[in-house]
Amino acid sequence: MGEIVKCSIIFSAVILCITSCSDDDPVIVNEEEVITTLQYNLTPTDGSGTVQLTFRDLDGDGGQDPEITGGVLNSNTTYTGELTLLNEQENPVASISAEVEEEADEHQFFFSTNISGMTISYDDMDSMGFPVGLRTIINTGSAGSGILTIILRHEPAKAASNVSNGDIGNAGGETDIEVNFSISVE
Amino acid sequence: MTLVTYSQDCTINISGKISDHDTHRSLESVNIYIKEVQRGTVSDSAGHFSIENLCPGEYHLGISHIGCETQQYYVNLKQDTSLLIEMEHTSNVLDGITISGSSTDASTKNVNVINEQAIQDNAQESLAGLIEGIAGVSSIKNGSSIAKPIVHGLYGNRLTILNNGVSQSGQQWGADHSPEIDPLVANKLRVIKGASALEYSGSNLGSVVLIEPQKIKKEPHLHGKAQMFYETNGRTFGANIQLQQHKGDLAWKVNGTFKKGGDQKTPNYFLNNTGIQENNVALQLEKTFTDYWTADLYFSSFNTELGILRGSHIGNLTDLESAFQREVPFFTESEFSYTIEAPRQHVNHQLLKIHSQYFFNDNEHLDLTVAAQLNDRKEYDIRRGNRSDIPALDLSLYSFFGESKYQKEYANDLKINLGIQSTFTENTNNPVTGILPLIPDYRSVESGIYGIITKRRDRSFLELGIRYDHIYQNVPTISNTLPREIIRYTNRYNNLNGSIGITYNFSDHFALSANSGISTRNPGINELYSGGLHQGVSGIEEGDPNLDVERAIKSTLSIKGGSEESFLFELLGYYQSINNYIFLNPQIESRLTIRGAFPVFKYEQTDANIFGIDASMQYQLTNSLSTKWVYSYIRGRGKDNQFAVINLPSNDINASIVYQTNKNLTMGNTHFENLQIELINRYVFRQNNISPDQDFVLPPDAYNLLAFKTSANIKTKSFDSRWVFKVDNLLNVQYRDYLNRQRYFADEPGISISLGITIMI
Repeated sequence: MGEIVKCSIIFSAVILCITSCSDDDPVIVNEEEVITTLQYNLTPTDGSGTVQLTFRDLDGDGGQDPEITGGVLNSNTTYTGELTLLNEQENPVASISAEVEEEADEHQFFFSTNISGMTISYDDMDSMGFPVGLRTIINTGSAGSGILTIILRHEPAKAASNVSNGDIGNAGGETDIEVNFSISVE
Repeated sequence: MTLVTYSQDCTINISGKISDHDTHRSLESVNIYIKEVQRGTVSDSAGHFSIENLCPGEYHLGISHIGCETQQYYVNLKQDTSLLIEMEHTSNVLDGITISGSSTDASTKNVNVINEQAIQDNAQESLAGLIEGIAGVSSIKNGSSIAKPIVHGLYGNRLTILNNGVSQSGQQWGADHSPEIDPLVANKLRVIKGASALEYSGSNLGSVVLIEPQKIKKEPHLHGKAQMFYETNGRTFGANIQLQQHKGDLAWKVNGTFKKGGDQKTPNYFLNNTGIQENNVALQLEKTFTDYWTADLYFSSFNTELGILRGSHIGNLTDLESAFQREVPFFTESEFSYTIEAPRQHVNHQLLKIHSQYFFNDNEHLDLTVAAQLNDRKEYDIRRGNRSDIPALDLSLYSFFGESKYQKEYANDLKINLGIQSTFTENTNNPVTGILPLIPDYRSVESGIYGIITKRRDRSFLELGIRYDHIYQNVPTISNTLPREIIRYTNRYNNLNGSIGITYNFSDHFALSANSGISTRNPGINELYSGGLHQGVSGIEEGDPNLDVERAIKSTLSIKGGSEESFLFELLGYYQSINNYIFLNPQIESRLTIRGAFPVFKYEQTDANIFGIDASMQYQLTNSLSTKWVYSYIRGRGKDNQFAVINLPSNDINASIVYQTNKNLTMGNTHFENLQIELINRYVFRQNNISPDQDFVLPPDAYNLLAFKTSANIKTKSFDSRWVFKVDNLLNVQYRDYLNRQRYFADEPGISISLGITIMI
């Protein structure tokens, strides 16, 4: 029995030696794919002031809540809309919209609103002739208020029925962005 | 097998007696065949056989019997020889039944066995799929290629899977990871449904799944078998080759498996991107130094690449809801394909084990084991910017295990079993992913010590044991707020487990076992520190660093018995009361991100009870016709009765009718042996206990599946083979299963026909 006890002690000691290593810190990953910020710049064709809608969540999925800034639009006005996607965790700030533009055939934005009279139409297309949605034209109607929803789908079925008209129903794919803005039309 | 030899002159006789391994009854109608002289005989009603007038020399005996695994023996004949042979029945339903008290491997715990032939006959099955037929065992899946076993409602962190004596060290958390084990390497799978499993390291609350390669046979010639199989659904094909030899004091065995499958098909459509490819190899070496000192080495490499249903990869809660609305999933293709694209998993698992056994005398021995494992897991998602080829999850888990076990048997049927074990684990996330890790890097050291005493006295058998573990965890997590920084946690846990069990044999045909145990399980790394989006379950999972240890009390009561040969039954009831039961609780508020709203699941604790009944029975209707029934019932409730425990299997009932012929058919030089025809019906009840606020969609309906299986051994002068033909989901039923996450998106596979051929070398 004595032999066994001795043997076991040596054995455990060997294991402890092997297992007592130094504490290395893990490498903090570079989250280059993250989208922290969406800006929707609306420029009226009549030359009045530009409106910027912003969704910003600097620390990603957890942590602090996102900051969301809605806006006020003029009634019966035409705006050109331009979407900018950023990763503000990177230094310098990385443009994700450039990435989307490069892979335009794999991406499509969808716009919807419950404000009556307001319409959003595509003003750009990919190499296959399908819309992308980085550039849009917005027409407002009479005064009112509600929500504007912007969705970015990755790998949607762009050729599916009505998808190129902005109907998300048959699009499929994964949602990369889905944000809501409070809008009032005055 | 025991060899008893007598001296004789020139013409030599070989004779023997054959009995059942478990019941020790004589076996009639067993075929004994000597390959070299192509002569055979059949055992009589007392199990006796004899073959006369043999010349001295080397012979191979093939021993086969209906419902048993065919055995091969090598004999070097010099004189009249008498053999005592035990045969093991392959029935995977009631194998655990050992009525007589003289079994060597006695325990008060309930053990079910799947043997080599059953594993070979179901070569295309995963580990979890193979043991599913046992009462109280089922599996939790993601599609048909990812499955992990559940025993008595517990899986993952709560169930130990022991591969060749070493606790499987992979990413045990989550339902979307299979244990990385090739069951074709094993000669035996055992499921222990106990109250406390003290001699095995790894956290568990009583139950253990063991994958056991056997010792290499003492056979000086090169032997082995080659197997090929094909399955229509998924157009899966594969091969397995085993070779072994025992020369002098060194024995070796090599085992290799190749498997490739493509898109599975439901009754109505293909499941796009559900292919699988596996390449596995195992090497076993055994060396005998002296009569009392042996050593062995085992190395296995498991490599798999598998696709995940394309239509199950979705973004946020809105996507999930629109996927539920669809009859046919998004991205369904009309053509079959073997292609595996993102989302996919690529996993390698390497195990190296060295074990040595030293006998001080016949009743006292020491075992030393060291083992190292490396588990590499890469999961690929569909990503923007050509990143689909960069893994979204890239984990390396290294573990080192050492064990010393001492066993002594005293004259008065008292046995003691002592052991110490230590496991070091290191988990590393590769930062190449560009995604904050869901499971942080960590190091842990688990050291345990146990003692078990067993004592047999007349008709009773007593078992008493205790185990203590000390667990140290060192976890550097990355903060989820900016600026990112390292927050380091160190934890120490003391786990104490104990159990007591008794078996009483009322007669040779009736035994009662009671078992009770306490166990503590420290929270796992995922339960403490998960943080972020778990793409596989489209939810944000959050750990809680303040979780307490789980404390469980489990009791089992089992009755087994039967009449002479014709009727056997086994009934097991269990009740486990778990304090601080850790579970993923869906939160009322969803989390708003730039990708939209996501459901949030937090690891929380409550007190829960899980209880159930496993019932099995077998009845011999006529000489050649028998029927088997297996029923599992399980329920789990919070102690405050507020909720049902999620991810518990549905109750199910399996019934089969088996026809086996005792007669051998001979056509010319071809012999047909062990013809068996089986019709199996499986009914799975609906999981009715889940309330609507516990899941995105309610559990699917009950379903009924029919399967057909026939098998036979075909032998000629130079050719010895086994053929298995099966049809699964015979009626091409459309169904979904509660424990398959793919149920949110698609149906289960439809009809599948498979053929397997094994050729003995």
